[in-house]
Amino acid sequence: MTPLPDGLLPRPTPLTQPFWEGCLAGELRLQSCDSCGHYRFFPSEACPHCGTAEHTWRAVSPRGRIYSWIVIHRAPDPAWADEVPYTVVVVRLEVPGDPLLTGVLVDCPAEEIAADLPVRVEFERMNEAIALLRWRPDVG
Amino acid sequence: MATICRAHANLNPRAQMGARTMSMDDYLASPWIADPFRVFDCCLMSDGACAVLVTDAERARDLRHRPVYLMAGGIGTGPANRGGMWGNFWHDHTECYARYMAERLYADAGVGPEDINLAQLYDCFTYSVIVQLEDFGFCAKGEGGPFCAEGRIAIGRELPVNTNGGLLSEAYIHGLNGVFELVEQLRGDAGARQVKNAEIGLATAGGASPNGSAVILRQ
Repeated sequence: MTPLPDGLLPRPTPLTQPFWEGCLAGELRLQSCDSCGHYRFFPSEACPHCGTAEHTWRAVSPRGRIYSWIVIHRAPDPAWADEVPYTVVVVRLEVPGDPLLTGVLVDCPAEEIAADLPVRVEFERMNEAIALLRWRPDVG
Repeated sequence: MATICRAHANLNPRAQMGARTMSMDDYLASPWIADPFRVFDCCLMSDGACAVLVTDAERARDLRHRPVYLMAGGIGTGPANRGGMWGNFWHDHTECYARYMAERLYADAGVGPEDINLAQLYDCFTYSVIVQLEDFGFCAKGEGGPFCAEGRIAIGRELPVNTNGGLLSEAYIHGLNGVFELVEQLRGDAGARQVKNAEIGLATAGGASPNGSAVILRQ
C-alpha cells in the first residue's frame, strides 16, 4: 500500500522494540515466557498465562492459520481511502501459548477466505523504523 | 436484533431514533462499516445523560418514587486478560466477560437465567447482544443469532431485550440508560413499552469486550 504518514505508524517503545526490529529484519519475533514457555502477542510486561515477567525474545515460524477476519469498508482515516475494502485477519500461531496476531490479508480472493486457512507472514516496510505485518495464503 | 431494538425505540419518547422505523430491507441496505457490521449494527453517537439514585432500602421507603432493589452486581473479566479492555490474550473470541462472572452474579442474587423477565444487554454492536444472550445462559453457545432472528427478544415474547431501543436506537449513554429503563420497567412506568410481569431484570455494560459488568434488579 501507499506508505502511511509517520504520524499514523506505531512508535516503538523499549518493550516493543525487539518486535519491530524483527519486522525490519523480515522475522517474526515474540516474547517467550521464561517460566511456562508460552509465546504472547502483543508485547506485554507479564505473561498472560502465568504472570511471570521474565521472557526471552525468539524468532517463530512465519506460518499460522486464520482465526477470524473482518472486511473494512469505511476507511478509519483518509490515509486508507484508496485501500478500502481491505481485509484484516486475526491469525493463530501454532506455537506454545497459541498467540493471536492481526494484519492485513493480501493476495487472497474474498471467496477463499476461511477459518483455519494457512497463511504466512510478510513485512511491508513503511520507514526506517517500521515494517508492518501482512499475511498471505500459504500455499507451500 | 437491530430491527427489534428499533421497534422498541419507536415506542419510546426519549429515543433518538424514536420517529424512524427500520425494516429488514432498511437494515440490509445500510452501508458496511466493517463486514459483518453495517451502520445499523453499530450503536448511536449521542450527547446525553441520565442518573440513578442509589440508597439503602430504609431511606428509599420515604422517597417519592417506588424503590427498585439491587439483588446483585458484579464486574468481571478472564484471568489471561489481566484487566485490559481489549486484547489478544482473550483466548476464545466467541466468549465474552459473562463467561467469568455470570455464575457468581446469579449465585449472589439467588436466581438463574430462567428467573430473568427482561434484559437490557449492552448493545454497542448487535454482536454484543448475541454473545451476552449465550454467556448469561439464556441460550446455548451459537444459538444467540437464531434467538434474535426468531423474535424471542421482542416485548411480549420470551425475553424482552433492550425495551428502550438500546444503545442502537435509544441513545449511547454507555449502558446506564439500560439501568434507567430497567428501573422504569420494574416500577411499571414504561407505558407502551411495559413488559408484563416485569419482576426481575438484568442490565449489563460490556459484551463486545473481554470485561464488563452487570446488575440484577427486582421489584
